Amino acid sequence: MFSNLRRTKLLFDLLTAAILIAVTLFAIFPLVWTFLTSLKVEADIVTSTMQYIPERVTFDNYVALWQRSGFPQLVTNSLIVTTLTMTICMSIGSLAAYSLSRFRFFFRDQMLLLYLVVRMFPAVLMIIPLFIILRNLGMLDSRFGLALAYTTFLMPICVWMMKGFFDAIPVDLEEAARIDGCTRLGALNRIVLPLVRSGLVATSVFIGIASWNEFLFALMLTTSQGSRTWPVGLQLMVGEFQLPWGTLSAGGIISIVPIIIFFSIVQRSLIRGITAGAIKG
Amino acid sequence: MTSSDVLEAPTGRADPAFPLFSLLGRLSESRGWAYFLIIPSLILIMVVVIYPVISGILMSFQELRLTRPGSNGYIGFEHYIDLVSDRIFLRALQNTVVWVIGGVTSQFLLGLITALALNRGIFGSRLARIVVLLPWILPTVAAGHMWALMLDPRLGVINDILVRLGFLDSYRAWFADPSTAMPAVLVVALWQGFPFFTLMLLAGMQGIPDDLYEAASVDGANPLQEFIHITLPLLRPIIVSTVVLRVIGLVNAPDLLIILTNGGPGDATQMLSLYAFNKAYASFDFGYAGAISVVMFIILMVFTIVYVRALRATQE
Repeated sequence: MFSNLRRTKLLFDLLTAAILIAVTLFAIFPLVWTFLTSLKVEADIVTSTMQYIPERVTFDNYVALWQRSGFPQLVTNSLIVTTLTMTICMSIGSLAAYSLSRFRFFFRDQMLLLYLVVRMFPAVLMIIPLFIILRNLGMLDSRFGLALAYTTFLMPICVWMMKGFFDAIPVDLEEAARIDGCTRLGALNRIVLPLVRSGLVATSVFIGIASWNEFLFALMLTTSQGSRTWPVGLQLMVGEFQLPWGTLSAGGIISIVPIIIFFSIVQRSLIRGITAGAIKG
Repeated sequence: MTSSDVLEAPTGRADPAFPLFSLLGRLSESRGWAYFLIIPSLILIMVVVIYPVISGILMSFQELRLTRPGSNGYIGFEHYIDLVSDRIFLRALQNTVVWVIGGVTSQFLLGLITALALNRGIFGSRLARIVVLLPWILPTVAAGHMWALMLDPRLGVINDILVRLGFLDSYRAWFADPSTAMPAVLVVALWQGFPFFTLMLLAGMQGIPDDLYEAASVDGANPLQEFIHITLPLLRPIIVSTVVLRVIGLVNAPDLLIILTNGGPGDATQMLSLYAFNKAYASFDFGYAGAISVVMFIILMVFTIVYVRALRATQE
């Protein structure tokens, strides 16, 4: 019987390994292929015989991208918009999340539901009125205006995720601090904030990635080089210049780099954070 | 943090060094504190969500074309009546159903299988877990163009591989052929979407206590029975919320389609979100686009309510 069990386990391990190898290949192959393409000379990309390993390795595509696309400006814009969005969402959203987690008050459940339903509004339904509002406020085609627009769909996520983290911290700790003479604010500052730090990091990274990658709002609400973000810049380049494949691939690779750096720093707390939000939500 | 830290930390009431802090500290003891914390976010939501949504809904009852400014005004349900006989709309509705069902099913299944495999924790799982997440954090624009290159009718590496392996006789134009365009877009969506399910389901699996499985195997349960009677029921809340979120995402987000097919060939990959988007920004017919969006929103609301209710009913 034991050998039978061991054989089943071995069989399952082999199956697991096969699945993991297949899925990993599926996930990574497009990235690898884009990277290889970005190193090729254009003539080697459009040849009739497929080159799997580049025969002539060149970095010209990256140079061309840097010079032609206004890349530094686009990435600066993206960084500013992402930072603004994170700041607005985290400061305002986590306070709301704390309140929703700790207090029972009038309309509390309705408010939580409201934050969820907000996610269901189609982007088109939001973008046109937002366009008009931002134009009236003089914030159309500005980085701050775009960041405000991003809060429409990122604030609800922030509130729900952070509520999950606050829920996970026992209320007893705060009550103990209050018995010892802390105000509610003091308890929030000294007890809750240190405990919820990894949750704050996870939520802000989630919001950061989402606003870094966002395309539709940025496409519609920015019109000039001065506030355009990187994904929009990349997409417009494809349309405007009939971008060569090599340069386009270089652009794809470059747009991953900041996220991979960002992601590898906080990978662990990000995963914990998302799951806490998911389980509670 | 241990409990001894907690007992040491608080001293005195508010910190007198910061007058603002002590003022806020006193405010935090009042009954309005809960509201005080939540009001900034409510104001923001009002300004950037509720107001746009209401004016968007009103928009759907108006003739609102930037190209013909003279004829704008309220027209009641006319747009909605037009929708019923709009063949592109009906096609888009049909395609959206295929897109959502195909997308959610494929992404959920691959995500689940991957999560199950990763959860066994065999050698190399840690690396695999990170690699598998990469598609999810990529910008859609970059992902879209990467796949467009790989599926290109002349230069596409996928064509080359399939021909070499003998699955295809010659290169195919995946996005140009009405019969393959939808499956091709679904594959790209699968690549981009399955990591989300993997991440969530894996986290849920790791939260299931080991003794449940030990008890089951003592009782002679095989892995399949364990999966059906332990894993699935305990993952249920996560499955429900991830499926709802993904359905919303698939219905609402046209960005992948804008990059890959823009609804073509013909209307083979036309979707509601894309149709509304193009009505608004290619034809500048904002009123009609608003009506399509409202229909999408209603469909999503009805779906979510029915889905969550139905699941709750079977649970009880």
